Amino acid sequence: MSTPNDGKSSAQSNPLFQLGKERLELIGKHADALMQGYLQGHVDETSFSQQALEKLINGRILWRPDEQQPLSLRPNVNELIAGLTQDERKRQINSDVGEHLDLIHTRVQSLQTARQKGDYAASEHHMQLLTERVHDMTGQFGDAIESLWHRLNTEFGFVSSLDDKILEIELAQRQLRRILDGFKIINFDELIQLAGSDGALRKLLVSQLQARISEHSGSLLEVQKRLVLLMARFRHQQERALLVNRMSAFLRQHPNFKVGDYPHRSNVPGVINQAHGISAQGFVALDRPQDSYVLAELARAIPRDLVPESQSEKQTQGFATAVQDLVATEQKQLAKDVEDFFLHVIEHTDPVSGVDYLAEKALSWEAEMWLFQIVAEFEGLPQHNKQSFMLEKDSARKSPFNHLHIIQDVKLGMRFFGGFQAVG
Amino acid sequence: MIENGPLLERLLEGEFICAVTDEHSFHKLQNEQLVEDLNHFLRPLNRRVAKSEDGAVYFLAYCDLNQQARQQLSQQFNATVQSLLPMLEWMQLVQEAMGRDGALSAGDTIKLQDFESKVVDNQSLIQRLGQLSSDKLFKSTSDKSDMQIKQVFKRIKELGYLYQPHKDRLFYIVTGKVEQLIELVRFIKDEENVPIDEHTPEQEAMF
Repeated sequence: MSTPNDGKSSAQSNPLFQLGKERLELIGKHADALMQGYLQGHVDETSFSQQALEKLINGRILWRPDEQQPLSLRPNVNELIAGLTQDERKRQINSDVGEHLDLIHTRVQSLQTARQKGDYAASEHHMQLLTERVHDMTGQFGDAIESLWHRLNTEFGFVSSLDDKILEIELAQRQLRRILDGFKIINFDELIQLAGSDGALRKLLVSQLQARISEHSGSLLEVQKRLVLLMARFRHQQERALLVNRMSAFLRQHPNFKVGDYPHRSNVPGVINQAHGISAQGFVALDRPQDSYVLAELARAIPRDLVPESQSEKQTQGFATAVQDLVATEQKQLAKDVEDFFLHVIEHTDPVSGVDYLAEKALSWEAEMWLFQIVAEFEGLPQHNKQSFMLEKDSARKSPFNHLHIIQDVKLGMRFFGGFQAVG
Repeated sequence: MIENGPLLERLLEGEFICAVTDEHSFHKLQNEQLVEDLNHFLRPLNRRVAKSEDGAVYFLAYCDLNQQARQQLSQQFNATVQSLLPMLEWMQLVQEAMGRDGALSAGDTIKLQDFESKVVDNQSLIQRLGQLSSDKLFKSTSDKSDMQIKQVFKRIKELGYLYQPHKDRLFYIVTGKVEQLIELVRFIKDEENVPIDEHTPEQEAMF
């Protein structure tokens, strides 16, 4: 340790020094248990020895508020911890300005008396206490405002229910008002008179104090604004919740509650006027030739099945499914080939023989199956299409004993003038 | 104007546009000039852009209340009134399950899983959910809570009160349409003199 200077030694000689240090150390020694007590609201006596307990009680740290009550921390200690840890829940806003001002008054008077007497040491002492007192006062304002800010910034997050939040804000508003009242009590004219012509006093009591107070006022004003806003928001939320709860309770109790026929009133309220949807649809515009290229592009981009679905698919129903697939593909192919045959016929003016075509294209179909499919396709054509074609069956009688005719070939041609063009 | 086509189309389809469902369009609609231009387009369709009282949501309203429009409104209004109680009960259920004390409002998020785990822990909530989900608004036939919850939320999403940002993730955001519903409730309360402003004793018993 460094060599103690005069100020320090004089402070150490003060009897308070030893006592205060002892008490502080006592708190430090039992910090764990005391903090436990702070959080729980009462102290667990079993965690202390009898001796320690006595010391703590005598040291004005613990007390028993009532015979039946458990031991707890003294309010001052509670407040000390709250102040140190900025625990806003327990931190008290103490802005009792009147008392401060009274003390300042007395102190100034003592100071002036000491000066008149020429007691330099005493006046120095009074000046020091006076400075402390003024700083205490503004410091308390500062603390109080800081505490309000802190609570604002956490949006009263430590209380969960809306009702409690509103109560908290009301509390904060009351505290705020008390601080403002405190400001009003400070009468600067009086302080100017009190300071008289003493420069140091004037500076301390008037200019410094004024600067701090106006700073605090600005801060307070902002707090006030924010509090009002928050309050409005919470009230709004509360009102909504109440509205929802009460309306549903009402509707539950009055199942036959009828609402007026607002849509048919002469004055339809805005909240009801909600137009129903129009589902917008667009179609291809074929009347604009300039779009044809884009439309063609679009049409080409449409994904489609490679093999067009034909009716023949239906004809395969009833087969065993394993065979069905194979048959279906073959059937499709056959139908497609026949279709090509028809197209071939359309492109040529002369009637075409089915058997010749089969040979020419080297298709693998059995002739009988092939001819059957052609006939089936022809018969299956819609009536008006059918009339454009002419089918001639080249058949021979199988046996002289019955009338069974076997078709050996078919000739398909376009009908233009009531018969085969070539024939016609 | 063509760039506002999609917006116009969505409005015409009867959608409600709020900061949750389509923030971009919502901000666009705050421009009065644009709304005027849109109204110019909508005039022949007997429509105009309207918004809720607090400006939380935009939608289309009729300009002229002709017979057809009134019929439409009447149908819609009746449907809304019929769904009012189940909707309010749903709001209360969510509020209680999630431990909130303010009513649901636009922008609140609901994670289905959280909601479900809260509900299944509480017998009375399970019971209320069961009653609610069998209401004809939700039409759930399942007796399992998770299926009931899914069905209820699906329906409310369809009604436009909830928005699901990701198709495969089960969390929902409350849309501005809820504000419109609350406004309607307030309106009905005022207009019909529903005696719910004072705490009558019989209501006290219910809380």
